[in-house]
Formats: sequence, structure tokens, C-alpha cells
Amino acid sequence: MDLKQSMLLLSSWIAQIGDVGLDLLWRFVHIVVSLWYIFSGIFEAIESYAISLGLIKKYSSINFEKLRCLAVVVDIEEARDVVNVIDLLQWLTTIGVNQVGLFDTQGLLKKCKDLILETVPGSMLLEETGEKDLLPDRKRIALEFISSSDNKEAVVKAANILLQRYLKSSHPEKEKGDDFFTEPHLNEALRVVGENVQPPDLLLVYGPIRSHLGFPAWRLRYTEIVHMGSLKYMRYGSLLKAIHKFTGVHQNYGT
Amino acid sequence: MPNHVAIILDGNRRWAKKRGLGALDGHESGGRRVIELAMDFFATGINIVSLFAFSTENWGRPEDEVNYLMAMFEKNFKAEISSFQRYKVKISVIGSRVNIPESLLHSIQEAEEATKSYTERQLLMAIDYSGRFDILQACKSLAEKAKNGVIQVEDINEKIMEKELMTNCSEFPNPDLLIRTSGEQRISNFFLWQSAYTELYFPNVLWPDYDKAEYMKALTWYQQRNRRFGRRV
Repeated sequence: MDLKQSMLLLSSWIAQIGDVGLDLLWRFVHIVVSLWYIFSGIFEAIESYAISLGLIKKYSSINFEKLRCLAVVVDIEEARDVVNVIDLLQWLTTIGVNQVGLFDTQGLLKKCKDLILETVPGSMLLEETGEKDLLPDRKRIALEFISSSDNKEAVVKAANILLQRYLKSSHPEKEKGDDFFTEPHLNEALRVVGENVQPPDLLLVYGPIRSHLGFPAWRLRYTEIVHMGSLKYMRYGSLLKAIHKFTGVHQNYGT
Repeated sequence: MPNHVAIILDGNRRWAKKRGLGALDGHESGGRRVIELAMDFFATGINIVSLFAFSTENWGRPEDEVNYLMAMFEKNFKAEISSFQRYKVKISVIGSRVNIPESLLHSIQEAEEATKSYTERQLLMAIDYSGRFDILQACKSLAEKAKNGVIQVEDINEKIMEKELMTNCSEFPNPDLLIRTSGEQRISNFFLWQSAYTELYFPNVLWPDYDKAEYMKALTWYQQRNRRFGRRV
């Protein structure tokens, strides 16, 4: 074997060793990050129990001035277990939240609407509530049931309404789109197709994925998004902590 | 690895305040990291990096801050054209261009022109961008097409709408991972339509402090997720 072949073989071995080394390093990084998440999960569980037992005073009272509308996104697999959703709503009523939008991609919770309204004390459909129903001392909770059809599909329907108006305007060739396609116009068109345009102040995501899973995009502009983990392992203390933390958030809305 | 990573570069002013510096110092420090970090992401195999550099709402900031940011963007575009060309990164700027200063607009056009032939990597810079504006301009664009008989109103659906969004310049318009630095847990009008199944990662690190260790943590975190895009397993 001449020198050139030896060098090629040597560089090939070095490259393979390098690849193995990088692979091991990457796996090591994964292990470190996983361990960090395990330990922080254990700490959160302990903290949550302490909050539930009322041992941490700062969570004993919450100012709901900033939380007019709460949204809950539930992963489709977890939405099948409606009992957990009902428990969550009962906790929210106890805490004092009085408007909740419940979302899952396929509308499973919409199909269980009647069961949920019958089982959760003080619950009523948002579209049937009046202002008096949601006064803090009345312990009522207004529920809105939302699915993916209320997201992009609804925006397309609303856009079609605006398009029709634009095309029917007296001088479409002279009219500028700016006069027809503004945020207030799209808000109004969304209401016409039956959608609620109120942005939730806080969105809690239950499930394995840290994503809003297609919650109506138009409403999410400044919404705080908090991932709560699995609905199966939900904790009252964690819920209280998430809501309490939200009340301390300050937004400058980009300015 | 994700195909498309989007980043909301938040925390420059808080970083400066913590150090007793002015907001502009924070932006300067943050600005130095931007292109460097984008290149780091590309080096790990990511195809598209989107940066939320300036939102429509940011026009409400003090005039000197806005002017500084516009000048900084212009300087970076001019200074980095050769890097973009060396690393074959296509530059695309999304957002309304109505209020952008002429000189910055010119730099943007130069950078886009100089890199338009590259296909493997793309840097999307969102300047004067708003997710709601993106949806509305898509509606306007469809209205023009319907007016001109290019499409029928009844044929308009989600897919057609998506093709009119500003991210239509990208092969992977929907980000797989969205990182917002500074610990704030909002998407603040960024990629509203596009982020339906995007993994959201909110590290509690201010943008000027976001370094290689942090982005490795983000990518490791992403690799541990199980994405089902809303479907049953």
C-alpha cells in the first residue's frame, strides 16, 4: 500500500471516529437536557401540591381584572377523556374564572357540549350569557366551544364576504382594497359567519405538544400561551400558578 | 431537525436596562448576534430561518429608536451581502414596505437581487410585519385576482389563501419551531396563520445573551417533541 492510500485510509478512520464522537456528544447533550427536565418536573409537582394545600400565600388570592377571557386548548387524544375536561372547568369555576373558550382540533368537545353544560355547575353557553350572568359574585362560567373549523375556514368565509362586498362596490376598479380589507372589517365579517373575535388573554395548552394546535389565529395576537402538560396529570396548584403568573405579566404591545 | 425555525428577537431593551445602558445599546448588541446566529442554525442543517426583526406595532416606539433600527438594518444588509453570497443564503424580506425608508428599501432590494438564485437556505426577515396584516393583504390580493377574473370567489379556500400570504416566497412557509427569547410567552402578531402546529419555545434568556448553547438547547428540546399536526396517532 503506498503512502497516498495509507493517508486516505487514515483520514477515513479519523472521519469515522469524528462522526462517532459527535454522535456521542449529541446523545450526551440529550441526556443532560432530559435530566434537567425530569428534575424541574419533580420540583414543579412538589410546588403544585404546596400551592393546592394553601401553603404558599401569594396564590391564595388572584386579581381577575386582566383575565376576562381564558382559552383552553386540549390535544385531541386528551379531549376524548371528557371527565378530565369537566374537572378542569370545575376548578376554573372555583378559582373564579368566568369565561372559557374550549378548543380541540376536531370538535370533540363541541360534540360533548350538552354533557359538559349539564355537569359543570353554573355553566352556560357564552352566546347565551348576558353581562349580569358574569358578575364575579355569581359563580357562573360562560363556555365557548371552538374547533379548527373556526380558524382558517372561518377566515376564508369572512374573506369571501369582504371579497363579495368589494366586487359589488359601485366602482371596483377605482375602489382601493384598503377601504374594504381592514381589521375592523374582518372582525365584522367573522361575526357575521358566527365567530367570536374576542382575543383570549391567556391560553392554556393541555397535551404533549407545545403548540396552540390551530386555535383561531386571528384572535391570538397578544395572547399569553402557557403549556400545562397532560390533562391526565393536571394539578390544581399548577393551574393556580399559571393564572397567578399571568396576572403579573406586563405587555407593551410592541411599543 | 426542523426545516424552518422562526425567532422573535425579544429583550434588547431589558438587556440594556439591566446594565444601565440605553435602549439603542441593547439593539446594537442584539443586532450583532442576528446574522451570526442565523448562520449557526443553517450550519445544523436547517433550511429556513425567519427573524421577527420589526413589527408593525414597533412604529409606536420613540422616533430615535425607530430611526436607529432602520439604520441598523440597512447597515447589516449592506455589510452582510458578501456573507449571504458566500454561504448561498437567499434573503427575503416580508412585511409592508410602505413606511420603510427609501435607503433601507434599496438595501433590501439589493440583497434580495444578489441572492435570489439560491435555493438551499433562506433567511426571511420580517420588517414592518404583522400576522393580521399578512392575512388582510392576502385577502386584498385575492380580491384583485377575483376582480381581474383570474379566480372565482367560490374557489377560494385555505390553500389558495395560504399561497397569497407573504411566506409564499418560501418552500416551507410554516415554521416547525418558533423561539421567542426573553421569557415572554406570546407570539405577538407573528405568523398567526402559519403557526398552527408550530412548536413554541420560550426560553428565559434575553436576545443579546442568546448564544450557541441556547440554540443547541432549543434544537434538543425540539427533537424530543412528538408532533402529530392535530391528527390521531
